[in-house]
Amino acid sequence: MKLSPEHPQLVEPDIETSHAEEFVEQLRHVADTLPSRINIDPQSVEQGLAKLVLTLIEFIRRLLEKQAVRRMEGGDLSPEQIEELGLALMRLEAKLQELKTQFGLADEDLNLDLGPIGRLI
Amino acid sequence: MKLYAYCLAESVEEFTVPVNGISGAPVRQLALDGLVALVSDLEIASVPVTRENALMHEAVVRTVMNQTTPLPFRFGTLATAEQIQSYVSARKTALESRFALVRGCVEMSVKIIWNASFNDLKVELPKSQNEEGPGAAFLLKKKREIVGSERLASEAAELKQWLSDQIQGLVREEQVSLRPTEKLVLAASHLVERDAVATYTQKLTAARLERPELHFLVSGPWAPYSFANIDLEFEMHFGVS
Repeated sequence: MKLSPEHPQLVEPDIETSHAEEFVEQLRHVADTLPSRINIDPQSVEQGLAKLVLTLIEFIRRLLEKQAVRRMEGGDLSPEQIEELGLALMRLEAKLQELKTQFGLADEDLNLDLGPIGRLI
Repeated sequence: MKLYAYCLAESVEEFTVPVNGISGAPVRQLALDGLVALVSDLEIASVPVTRENALMHEAVVRTVMNQTTPLPFRFGTLATAEQIQSYVSARKTALESRFALVRGCVEMSVKIIWNASFNDLKVELPKSQNEEGPGAAFLLKKKREIVGSERLASEAAELKQWLSDQIQGLVREEQVSLRPTEKLVLAASHLVERDAVATYTQKLTAARLERPELHFLVSGPWAPYSFANIDLEFEMHFGVS
C-alpha cells in the first residue's frame, strides 16, 4: 500500500512517559533476564546446560509445591504427612538454591522464553 | 557473501537517494515472487548487537515505513539470497495474510509499571495451621505466596481488560504480555491504523489521568515488529538467524 492523503507521512516515534528512569531500570532488568542461547564456548557450556536443566527442575518443583498445598487444603493429609511433605519440599528448595550458587545462577536466570506463549515460570 | 535482511515489503519505490544500513553497507531491493526484501551485502558471520547497529536497522525499516507497511526481520538476520527466496516461496500464502493484517497500520506500544507485590498482600491463615512444625510452616508460607500470586494475576487481568476498553475500536490486533509478579506488569503492542494514531494517543492520555497510581510508557509509531513473526518462521525454516 502506498501512502496517500489518507495515509500521511509518518512522523518519528514518540516516547511518552513521566517516569523515564523507572522504565529504563525495568527494561534493563527485562533485557538482562532474557534467556540467551546456550553458548557453545567450552568455558560456559556447562553453565548454559545447568541453567536449562535447573530451570526445568525449578518448574517441576513449583508444580509439586502447588500440588502439596492443594492436598493440604483438601484435608486428605494428616498433620504428620503435612510436616513430612513440607520438610521434603523445603530440602528440595535448599538443594536447588545450593546448585544455583554452585553454577553462579540467580533466581531470575531460571526461566525460558516460550515466545508468543510467554515465559515458562 | 551473506545478506543482512531488514524487512519484507509488498512493493517499494526506488530510493531517490542512496540508503545505507548496517556497517554503512548500501541497502538494495531483492525482488522475490511479487514481494521485495530490503537487504545489504555483508561479509561478516554475525552482526554485533550495538546501539549503532540497532538504530541503523530501525532507520532502514522506517525508510520503508514511509512508503508502505513492511514486515521487519528480527535484528541480526543474515542469510543467503537463495534462503530468503526459498523462505518467501514456501511461505507465500502466510506472508500474504500477514501483509493483509498489517497493511495501513503501525505498531504502538504501551508499558505499565505498578507497585503491587504479593509481599504487600496480607493472607490470613487459620490459627491452628500456624502452630505446626517447620515442614507445615514451609507449606503455609508457600500457600501465602500462591494466594498472593493468584490475587496479583487477577488484578493484572483486570488491568489488561481496562486498557483494552480504553482503546476499543481503535486496535486491529493486540499482543499483551502480563507479568503479575513483576513491576513492569504489562507490555502491550497494538496494531493501529495510521489514521487512528492521533485518536489512540488521545485516548491513552485520558486513560493515564484516570489511573494516576500506574506509570505508563507509550511509544510509537513503530513498524509492526510484534506482528511480523517472520523471524521465528525464518529461523525454523532454515535454522539460521
